[in-house]
Amino acid sequence: MKEKELYVDFKPQQAVYYVEKDDSSYGPVVSGSQLSHDYLDDFYAKRKNLEKSLRDQIANNEISPVYYYMLLQEMGIGDLASRVGVFKFTLKKHFKPQGFKKLSLAMLKKYADVFDVPLSSMLQVIIVKEDDKSNLEIEKMKTKNDCFELFKIGVKK
Amino acid sequence: MNNIIDFQHRMAAHCETGTLTALFNYSGLKITEPLVFGIANGIFFGYLETDNFPFPTFIVRSRPGQIRKNITSRLGIKLKENTYKDVAKGEAALDKLILNNIPTAAQVDFFYMDYMPDWQRVHINVHFILVTGIKDDYYVVSDSYYPKISELKKESMRKARWAGGHMPPKGFLFYPEKVPTEIDFRKPIIKGIKNACRNMIGLPVPFIGVKGIYKFANKVKEWPLLARDTEHLSHEIMKINILLEDQGTGGAGFRFMYASFLQQASEILGNNNLADMSKRMMLNGDEWRKISYFAAKIGKNRDLGPDKLAELSELIRKRGDEEKSFFTDLKKMV
Repeated sequence: MKEKELYVDFKPQQAVYYVEKDDSSYGPVVSGSQLSHDYLDDFYAKRKNLEKSLRDQIANNEISPVYYYMLLQEMGIGDLASRVGVFKFTLKKHFKPQGFKKLSLAMLKKYADVFDVPLSSMLQVIIVKEDDKSNLEIEKMKTKNDCFELFKIGVKK
Repeated sequence: MNNIIDFQHRMAAHCETGTLTALFNYSGLKITEPLVFGIANGIFFGYLETDNFPFPTFIVRSRPGQIRKNITSRLGIKLKENTYKDVAKGEAALDKLILNNIPTAAQVDFFYMDYMPDWQRVHINVHFILVTGIKDDYYVVSDSYYPKISELKKESMRKARWAGGHMPPKGFLFYPEKVPTEIDFRKPIIKGIKNACRNMIGLPVPFIGVKGIYKFANKVKEWPLLARDTEHLSHEIMKINILLEDQGTGGAGFRFMYASFLQQASEILGNNNLADMSKRMMLNGDEWRKISYFAAKIGKNRDLGPDKLAELSELIRKRGDEEKSFFTDLKKMV
């Protein structure tokens, strides 16, 4: 790959690539990511569709939020089970609404920690109706009580 | 309790080689990232189907940690390495090192690196960063994937260092104890090349090395059966591009970096044959890059019929042929 053929102007995601320079030596250059530059919209569109279809499945009592977050964060069953500290067959029970309902609060907190979401997000999904969220201010605040979080929403002035 | 070490941040193609190179340079050893990569025989291929990943995937570098072990034993470098079961002890150990002005590398789960753009953040337990300072609630970190020095909340660092799961970091830390400044690279380079050839063509494992490339070529045609729907399949096909180009490989699944290593090796060894092989590896890398472009294109257009997947499979199989003959020839030269 020649240096000129590589270069992509994409500031948000940059990486080092090894290329052939003008003097035919090989060395590193920094360039933007070609994939993200061209196809990031497509990535988010697919993600939005997946989120919606999974949300509908939760609402229809077909799957549990554990399964929802696992698919969204692209984790494998073996990986997730060992992060949470349960057997794989136990984890699979938690994928279904019946199994999910039997979870203890402590177990739910473990899942929330692994997925890096507030505990309350294991039981609800907050959707902002507007597509344009630039004038909204959303602030998640932790408290000393690790089972209680504050969620502040306001309009930017 | 604030201390920021004066550390020259540099981006690198890969996190493990980048971290090691930065630490060696800081200790006074002049070495480049491709040399570290080549001497430690980082080049690899493997096709993996385990439930630790949500979908079949492939790897283009040797097992994480192996590069560190190989480079230190081959160059006679001594690293101080430690894992910590106890979170409080592990944090105290890191703080103490930073206060003593020792830049320290930490193994972390990439997901919690919240300075990265969120579309890139996935759970990968084998990311390496350099911690170069403490400032109030933050660690100052030098991450090879990020253009500048960044800040990471102590809480995020804690989650990242004790993430659990597949290949858990367990609070792993390392820093150089003894780095020789004058090293004769000739023998380590030859050893690195020999081991790379063994990994690519010599191992009797059906999913490793060139055999792994063939397996990937065959299996990719069956991916539609494993995907939930077209959009999922499109996402997984486009991930081929991410794994080859954007996930810290230096482009074309480390093939460009390996070409760069062979060029430097030919200068150090005075071996012109290696310079020719380096050009050949560069061309091989270009073909890998074509696979990335092709995968991204058919994924975006949802053009994922059997004929397109067969075309993709054929492109991958050709890489298998080329790398088989490449590493066979390379083996004869050293």
